[in-house]
Amino acid sequence: MNCDQSLQTQAYLDGELGAADALKTEEHVENCAECQALAADHADLKAAMAGAQYYRAPAALRAKINDALDAETKVIPLKPRNKGSFWLGAGSGAGGMAIAASLAFLLLAPANTMVSDLGDAHVRSLMGEHLIDVASSDHHTVKPWFAGHADVSPPAEDFKADGFTLVGGRIDYVHGARAAVVVYRHGAHIINLFTWADHNVRLPGTGSRDGYRMIFWKQKDLELAAVSDVDPAELDRFVDLVKKSQSRE
Amino acid sequence: MDDKRRRFEAMAMPHLDAVTNLARWLTRGSAEADDIVQDAMLRAFRSFDGFRGEAVRPWLLAIVRNCHRTVLEQKKRHAAAPLDDDEKMEVAADGPTPEANVIQTDDGRRLDNAIAALPEELREVLILRELEEMSYRDIAAATGTPIGTVMSRLSRGRALLRAELTGGRV
Repeated sequence: MNCDQSLQTQAYLDGELGAADALKTEEHVENCAECQALAADHADLKAAMAGAQYYRAPAALRAKINDALDAETKVIPLKPRNKGSFWLGAGSGAGGMAIAASLAFLLLAPANTMVSDLGDAHVRSLMGEHLIDVASSDHHTVKPWFAGHADVSPPAEDFKADGFTLVGGRIDYVHGARAAVVVYRHGAHIINLFTWADHNVRLPGTGSRDGYRMIFWKQKDLELAAVSDVDPAELDRFVDLVKKSQSRE
Repeated sequence: MDDKRRRFEAMAMPHLDAVTNLARWLTRGSAEADDIVQDAMLRAFRSFDGFRGEAVRPWLLAIVRNCHRTVLEQKKRHAAAPLDDDEKMEVAADGPTPEANVIQTDDGRRLDNAIAALPEELREVLILRELEEMSYRDIAAATGTPIGTVMSRLSRGRALLRAELTGGRV
């Protein structure tokens, strides 16, 4: 294609142009052999594509989805359970101490890289490289955006009344996997709330790097981490708010 | 049936065929597309509370694309076998002769194979435009790309498919 109007002609052929533009394009096509050929090809291909396979949803799939949706709507409300509590319990006995120690050995390495990954991601976001992909203080905008972009559905409630304003969300990478990040503002401080699917690794609980504090927890098949330089008590309060909103969902 | 479920039934489920069709074409007809469809519909349902306003179909299709990408990434992480997502197709260097310049699709499978051989980003816009008859704007929303990119991909996809079908390369 050498004609610089070819995309415009294509838009015309696809019925994408308004009356005025359509008229202009018609005039152009009359005088452009290339666009005339394009029009012929377009019609030809359109006719051919009518013979392409269209995959409809098989009845079995439809039924399976309906079953899954049924199961989804009839969820028995479970008390939010902290998966970490098992380890606390295990650690209380003497034998448990040994188990906990060996586990700590096995799991310390990923926890350390997690802290440095999150610290780096947080700093990157503050340097203005990539803080927000979807900017909105409306969780009705932020939450559905994640459905199209992330592997998990993160909590994304606005806690404006409590001083934590929802400002948007983005996708980031933590520990080699995609994470959904919900971004909040508290005064002059930014809080990044990272969420990713439970990898079954032991989370560090808390961590800090370059003056930024992190709180980790697991909730409902998700692993979460809040990272910020806000006052530690404020970060605790923020995490409590998220936990409560998450258990309400 | 609760209210959310009823709304989902009325607004999202009518697009199940479109969702299935895209998933199948993204996976080049593989049956694992069904898992992607189910995953996508569940995910859509879970965030449906938050869904407002905009068109449902592009939103659902964006979720399907995302689920498909997640599966690819998981495979890449787990499997030793390299993925063939470096799908570059070459167009025959010398253009089709005028005699051959008519698309022969008496064999539907030849057409389907040619579409499946297109690079993914060209294949999806072509499917959404030609089979779903979606507007540029909706395609842009579903694929998360600017309209200008949708237009140039459509143009490249059509030219490539045409060359494939008329150039005798199958």
